[in-house]
Amino acid sequence: MRESISKPIQRVDGSAKISGEAKYIGDMHFENMLFAKTLRSSRVKAKIKSIIKPELPEGYFIVDKDDVPGFNRMRTVVSDHPLFAEDNVEYIGQPILLVVGPERETIYDIITHISIVYDDLEPLYTLEEAEAKSTVFTDYHYDKGEPDKAFAVAVTIIEDEYHTGYQEHVYLEPQGMAAEYRDDTMFVYGSMQCPFYAEGALTEALGWDAKRIRVIQTVTGGAFGGKEEFPSLTACQVAVAALKTKRPVTLIYDRDEDIICSTKRHPSIVRYKAALNQNNDVIALDVDVLLDAGAYNGLSPVVLQRAIFSVTGVYNYLHLKVRGRNFMTNNVPSGAYRGFGAPQTIFGTEMLMHNIALKIGVDPLDYKMRHMLRRGDPTCMGGKIRDIVKLPEIITRVTEMSDYRNKVQNNVKYKGIGASLFLHGCGFTGNGEQTIQGKIILKKSGENVILKVSSTEMGQGAETVLRKIVAYSLDLPIEKVLCEAADTGLVPDSGPTVASRTTMIVGGLLRQACLELKDRWDEAEEFEVSRSYKHPDFLNWDNDTFQGDAYPVYSWGANVAEVEIDPVTYEINVKKISAVYDVGMPIDETTLRGQMQGGIVQGVGWATIEVMTTDKGKLIQKNLTDYKVPTSMDIPKIDCEFVSNPYEFGPFGAKCAGELPFVGAPPAVVAAVSNALNVPIYSIPITPEDLMEMDSHEN
Amino acid sequence: MVDGFRPVTLQETLNIRSQYNCTPIAGGTDLMVQKARGFALKPGFEQPLLFIGHLPELQKIVIKNNQIHIGSGLLLTDLLNSEIIPEIFKEAVRLMASPPSRNLASIGGNICNASPAGDTLPYLYAVDAKLVLKSVRSERLVSIGEFITGPKQTALGQDELLTEIIIPNKIFNVNYYKKVGQRKGMSLTKAVFLGMTDIKNDNLTDIRIAFGSVSPKIVRSREIERTIVGKPTFEMITAIPEILAKYALLIRPIDDARSTAVYRKKVSLRLLEDFLRKIDKEK
Ligand SMILES: Cc1cc2nc3c(=O)[nH]c(=O)nc-3n(C[C@H](O)[C@H](O)[C@H](O)COP(=O)(O)OP(=O)(O)OC[C@H]3O[C@@H](n4cnc5c(N)ncnc54)[C@H](O)[C@@H]3O)c2cc1C
Repeated sequence: MRESISKPIQRVDGSAKISGEAKYIGDMHFENMLFAKTLRSSRVKAKIKSIIKPELPEGYFIVDKDDVPGFNRMRTVVSDHPLFAEDNVEYIGQPILLVVGPERETIYDIITHISIVYDDLEPLYTLEEAEAKSTVFTDYHYDKGEPDKAFAVAVTIIEDEYHTGYQEHVYLEPQGMAAEYRDDTMFVYGSMQCPFYAEGALTEALGWDAKRIRVIQTVTGGAFGGKEEFPSLTACQVAVAALKTKRPVTLIYDRDEDIICSTKRHPSIVRYKAALNQNNDVIALDVDVLLDAGAYNGLSPVVLQRAIFSVTGVYNYLHLKVRGRNFMTNNVPSGAYRGFGAPQTIFGTEMLMHNIALKIGVDPLDYKMRHMLRRGDPTCMGGKIRDIVKLPEIITRVTEMSDYRNKVQNNVKYKGIGASLFLHGCGFTGNGEQTIQGKIILKKSGENVILKVSSTEMGQGAETVLRKIVAYSLDLPIEKVLCEAADTGLVPDSGPTVASRTTMIVGGLLRQACLELKDRWDEAEEFEVSRSYKHPDFLNWDNDTFQGDAYPVYSWGANVAEVEIDPVTYEINVKKISAVYDVGMPIDETTLRGQMQGGIVQGVGWATIEVMTTDKGKLIQKNLTDYKVPTSMDIPKIDCEFVSNPYEFGPFGAKCAGELPFVGAPPAVVAAVSNALNVPIYSIPITPEDLMEMDSHEN
Repeated sequence: MVDGFRPVTLQETLNIRSQYNCTPIAGGTDLMVQKARGFALKPGFEQPLLFIGHLPELQKIVIKNNQIHIGSGLLLTDLLNSEIIPEIFKEAVRLMASPPSRNLASIGGNICNASPAGDTLPYLYAVDAKLVLKSVRSERLVSIGEFITGPKQTALGQDELLTEIIIPNKIFNVNYYKKVGQRKGMSLTKAVFLGMTDIKNDNLTDIRIAFGSVSPKIVRSREIERTIVGKPTFEMITAIPEILAKYALLIRPIDDARSTAVYRKKVSLRLLEDFLRKIDKEK
């Protein structure tokens, strides 16, 4: 037997990235390549009356809606975003056309000489305005138990409202895409998470069969969800340009352009009504979730689904009434971002529990523990918690690591400690995995095994983890397990690299295929084994009523955050985060720790310093001078441990991990800030500006 | 096309400066950001560049007549490595930018950029730093307060260069410096406060107070300082409301993407108050 699979190995992609050998899209050169730049809307909402174009020099092109041979929409959950604007523009930064040509300076010059005559229309700037005008994109409801009756008999009813803000991904590498049309095939290269999403979008934009389209992921410098659906837009734009110009075309954003036009985390308002019984326990919850989807719906409906399916967090409320709405505003479209809707509602629910506990005068952690889910309990959608819930063990450990009990009792002003409990549903929401039907291939080739998946490495360590699963399953050294390029012409569609599904779902399929390959190893020098996703029989889901198992299994965690508030400036100093997670089984502990630390840091950023707001449809923090993410100086001490709780259907027992740490950190940090100043907090990011104001009201 | 000059000596540099309209560039950490036009495009300089960061004449740091003479081309990192720069000034420099930027950015650039958020400025105002401005025809000495005429505006002549910054070789008894940024590293200033005093036999013999980022220029008032000097330290607490009220009239911050006017003003006054309370505790 070999060592435990959790024992770390060297990252397989590490040396190429450190040495500079790795080729990002910006490093790629095509013969006769042209550059493209996007002309964008400067208006929040307007009718385009006319576009006055200068005479173009030889070899320069304008590419717009009239050049799209197929459907001028980006295909995603709701295919409503035009590739190039048609009659109207709906947000500042919306793409109208590309200027394409051999010299960037000339392209820039042409762009500045195109004038667009707009007729301004009445825009919607905020979620509140959108609610007042009822510009609803999506409206979901579900109930559990008998909420009306529960509210009728409630001893106390508590009403709270929580707000969360935008968040920009700030992946190290901005968006970039290139297309080359040759051999009657469109080759599209770029920084992305989901090559088959881009392929699907290209079939519609070009009106072509997928056989004539190949999408190839280039080395991707971070994504966090920001390269889930957005690259489908740029992929289609460059392909249309390559088709028109008959030359390879590249489109690469710089940071400022990327921030202005790329998707962001949905700002949210979550309203709660909680019914308390005579023991002050929550027996029923009425939740209203509002997300700002921006100008187009895109994949916001599924973000909203995860948001409303996560509203109960780790708690078992007997009665529920849940509503979720996506609103249309004239802001830049919101989209996928690590956590995918869950961080907004988990934050709200954790803070609600925290604030109720403070009102009734009990320790928030003890109060939360009175409501925790246990094995066998129904989920909020009437599914079932099938596996052991190790929260009690997790909480014991995290409170020991942080000395929570002692510190919370001897609390002094300006020093705070707070805890969060959380979960994350593993894999796609609802029947997503059945719809996608992920497929993998393992190819034996002499002494080597080649794994073929469309799951992408974007910095998170997927390639290391998947190769490791195969190597350990077949008892091969990792060097003998190779990974085919994420090229839609070479690999099957194992599904998008999203929803923390890659290790558990794709790794699980690889593991099954390995077992077959092992049995048949001596059959031939070269052969392939494949597997497609089969939904376990015991899981039920009805997508119309939202009843059943929204997720096959959950990963769990608890965080304790310790903060110090500067008594003069109210700056928040996050000193330490203690974290314990149940992700089933770590496949590679160092890679996993990297995910946990990164998720925590991103969560701390969202909760504290990452202020992004709009003023009349215009982003105020629109570059990295004004929009700040944590630096190494801002990162707290992070103590992180795992409890083992192997999942029967995950490879080596692994469940989901990538999004979980993001979900947990914000409520812990905010609970600690609340504890430090003894004030309730209803909105993030929570800033020194807010705290100074709140504390002066207290005094 | 961007043309550039890369002279070898200061004399040669001043000659070029007198003959051409050109833009001096030291580390370029302000200029390259201000003139950036976008990915892979040349920065939008209207004039030829005059590279000065490498000039040996601008790299010296010496004590003469109990004054520290700092070459304008010295990097922020050089200041941190120097043994003769007062610790509180180093603290200000240490909180600027990040190690890579500090390895490029010059002190002369921070002064000539004349941003209200320039982090070397509060200290230089507080010690009445003198600047040496040189041209082929003259050499003049101006105080930092005269040199900076407004946000991004200076009294630098067309043909002049800032060659030296002169500060007293003096360390105060009590030093207080606080930069409030959006985060701990690589952050522009929301508000900054600097306070220094000398105390002898329980009496304040000198006091310097400067605020940055909260007005078009650094806020320093000799007049208010004069009313504080001479007071016994134990009277500080009772004097606080009056002192705060006087400074409150001078601090006129704005709302922007990084903070609010209300916060900037309050935090500035709170820092001042904290400093004055510390004095009260000093013997
Ligand atoms: C990432 C980053 C972070 C930063 N953080 C901070 C910060 O925390 N605090 C802060 O105050 N600043 C900060 N800055 C701004 C900048 O780094 C400093 O102002 C720096 O000191 C400028 O020096 P430089 O040599 O790079 O100036 P340059 O860009 O070369 O020049 C700046 C200006 O001064 C003029 N100039 C330069 N030298 C002379 C001279 N000898 N005589 C006459 N004119 C001259 C130039 O013509 C130009 O107008 C930051 C910048 C960046 C890019």
